[in-house]
Amino acid sequence: MHRHSTLAMILAGGRVDELGVLTHYRPKSAVPFGGFARVIDFPLSNLLHSGIERIAILSQYRSYSLINHIGTGAAWDMIGRNRGISILPPFKDYDNPHWYRGSADAVYQNLDYIQYYGPSVILVLSGDHIYQMDYRKMIRYHNEHDADLTAAFIKVPAESASRFGVAEIADDTPEGGRMLSYEEKPAAPKGRWASLTVFCFRPAVLFEMLKRNQQGDSYEFGRDIIPMMMRERLNVHGYKFRGYWGYTRTIDEYWQTSMDLLGPDPKIDLEAWGIRTNLGHRNIADRQPVKIGAHGCLENSMAYNGCIVEGTVRNSILFPGVHVMAGAEINDSVLFFDNIVHQGVRLNRVVSDVNTVFNRDVRVGAPQCEQPSRVSVIGWNNSVPEGLHIGCGCRVAPRIAPEKWPQEKLDDGEELR
Amino acid sequence: MRESSDALVLLLAGGIGSRLNLLVGHRAKPAVPFGGIYRIIDFSLSNVMNSGLTKVGVLTQYKPLSLMAHIGDGAAWDFTGRTRGIKILPPRTGEKDSDWYKGTADAIRQNIDFILANPSEQVVILSGDHIYRMDFDAMLSYHQHKRADITIGMMVVPKRDIHQFGAGIIDSENRIVDWEEKPKVPRTNLASMGIYVFDTKYLLRTLARDRKEVDFGMDIIPRAIHEDRVYAYPFYGYWRDVGTIQSYWETNMDIIRENSGISPEAWEIRPNPEYGGRPMDRAPARFLPGSKVESSLISAGCVIEGTVLNSVLSPGVRVKKGAVVSNAVVFDDGVVGENAVVDLAILDKRVQVGAGAVVGQGDNLTLANEQFPKHLYTGISLVGKEAKIPPGAQIGRNCIVNFGYNDDSFNGQQVLADGQSA
Repeated sequence: MHRHSTLAMILAGGRVDELGVLTHYRPKSAVPFGGFARVIDFPLSNLLHSGIERIAILSQYRSYSLINHIGTGAAWDMIGRNRGISILPPFKDYDNPHWYRGSADAVYQNLDYIQYYGPSVILVLSGDHIYQMDYRKMIRYHNEHDADLTAAFIKVPAESASRFGVAEIADDTPEGGRMLSYEEKPAAPKGRWASLTVFCFRPAVLFEMLKRNQQGDSYEFGRDIIPMMMRERLNVHGYKFRGYWGYTRTIDEYWQTSMDLLGPDPKIDLEAWGIRTNLGHRNIADRQPVKIGAHGCLENSMAYNGCIVEGTVRNSILFPGVHVMAGAEINDSVLFFDNIVHQGVRLNRVVSDVNTVFNRDVRVGAPQCEQPSRVSVIGWNNSVPEGLHIGCGCRVAPRIAPEKWPQEKLDDGEELR
Repeated sequence: MRESSDALVLLLAGGIGSRLNLLVGHRAKPAVPFGGIYRIIDFSLSNVMNSGLTKVGVLTQYKPLSLMAHIGDGAAWDFTGRTRGIKILPPRTGEKDSDWYKGTADAIRQNIDFILANPSEQVVILSGDHIYRMDFDAMLSYHQHKRADITIGMMVVPKRDIHQFGAGIIDSENRIVDWEEKPKVPRTNLASMGIYVFDTKYLLRTLARDRKEVDFGMDIIPRAIHEDRVYAYPFYGYWRDVGTIQSYWETNMDIIRENSGISPEAWEIRPNPEYGGRPMDRAPARFLPGSKVESSLISAGCVIEGTVLNSVLSPGVRVKKGAVVSNAVVFDDGVVGENAVVDLAILDKRVQVGAGAVVGQGDNLTLANEQFPKHLYTGISLVGKEAKIPPGAQIGRNCIVNFGYNDDSFNGQQVLADGQSA
């Protein structure tokens, strides 16, 4: 009995310079997001709700945090006789001495894994975007049109198209159409559809393309594989995604996407999207409900179990275990797990990583920054010394030793390592 | 077969707890939600887990389905794996005489086969009804050190409360030399917590002796203190039997109070977040513009647009614009409509309070509930599971609104006077 089956391969991403401080010790897809979850929970939850049961995660950078987070895969129901999540790190091989040299190379190096499962569709997705999607619809389109590749796109304004892989898509149906042209990060883009790095492949064709690609010296889906398939005039389609798509490529993008969680009608609706995380990671499940003190105040904010709020929190997101003491004020910020904010602290537009402590009277950011407001980011396991002023758009690396902190202040835009 | 050195735990979870009224209408007392995200039994189960004990039998009887679903496979408390386990032990028929459990000792006696199937040197017997944190490993060490046949967890209570408990008189070695079950005239202030460590062989011999001995406190212990080695294990710390509506409410409120002595998270109490099989996790609690929350416990999944004061909210509770919830305990997924008021009340799961309605109207806190005067007499009103309070309705103090109540059966009355039930 022939069963259609899909194998999903998630590109877990590596270290991203722009997200620097937050990706020192974890890949981009393991960055906390949404007040209790991780970025990768979005594609994983999408896969769960799309009924896709076999997932491989291609990870090369500091996999430990990701491995911890994925666990057995039980959090996304990915356990059972025919279900599973595998983490595929790079490995030494007889004739292949290479680390993953690019997204296409990573998939190529795991061809035997793919062939073992013999899927009828291979879904390749990035692990670092915030969105809700039922992949079955795209796979159905792909099968109906007998495509070799179906790639998902979103319409973007002309000014920003140069950042992306950009396509012209025929108006065959409202859902999608034949891809008429494709350019990777063009200076003067012809099309208005930006690639979302969600690809549906016919396996035999993918294998062929990957083998050929190995002859070259660049191994990326966007830069190399798609253009190769276009040149070969294979049956390549664009699938038109209409919905929210959140990027987390830079600190400012990460912060902006986070702010889309807030408000009475948030653009990102975690429960409606069916987001699931590993509640065992960092003991999320064992935290008691949010405790708000007699003078605690939360305005247009979200807080997860384990938080204690005795100060003022506005337009902010508190991950489990954040303690905001009386007399502290937090605005427009995202504080990861177990931050402690002491009396007199003022935070404005701050993203702060796990376990960081803001000692008394610390100031980070300002209500009005001089240049267009930029977010300050503080790395994990820091103890910011009492009274220190950190400006707007600053970057503080993880675990700064006590003697390395400046005496009085860190100026706008400065970095501390 | 290897004899396990882990003590076997038998958890008595069969009681009715009838004074909790509607809260135990559809569930056994240990399954009653507590502290937002917990159930009462989570305290005992977590204490067992944190004490390193891995084999548990849960003796159920009264309305066990909620409890069974909550316990599931025991994974939440690590009771899964080849050498671990938690088993539900309901009363059951067999070839010989059998019956409902007639008392604490009778329940254990009817499960001798379970004890034999899980060999151990000691058996720990406790109930699933209490709010406390205890290290049973320490109690087991003490039991072994004293070479006791029975060790009973005991604590000091005010003399005026001793009539609710089994009471013991001890000598200087903590050996129990005299015992009174629920004495009217107190001679001591040392009360039994209903936590026993038995030497297993001794337990089996004792239970086999006389089937009319159905209760530990009333039958087994009084005889044992004269014939055998029975010791008191002193317990110091926060402990509550949340057996009445008033004490249940107070204990919930204690979690909010500074320095009350109770902290579920610090006590490492584990809830079961998988209960209910929701297709998604609860999102963080959302505090929308215009909301005001003070001195409260708010669980993930709540959406607050109105005011919440001095209250405990379970996951998914929605407090709409202009609504005020105060001094209340609201279970999962309750909805308090726009401009509604809920004061000094306990709302079971999925209660809907209509716009502008009031639960807890008026100042007369002392007119007891007419139907159940011994349950509600301190002013707290109860609203049962899935009840729908119509918009604009006014419910007084010490009132009971039954589960499933809705518009159709309201009878056109908009007001429920103090002490009335609907």
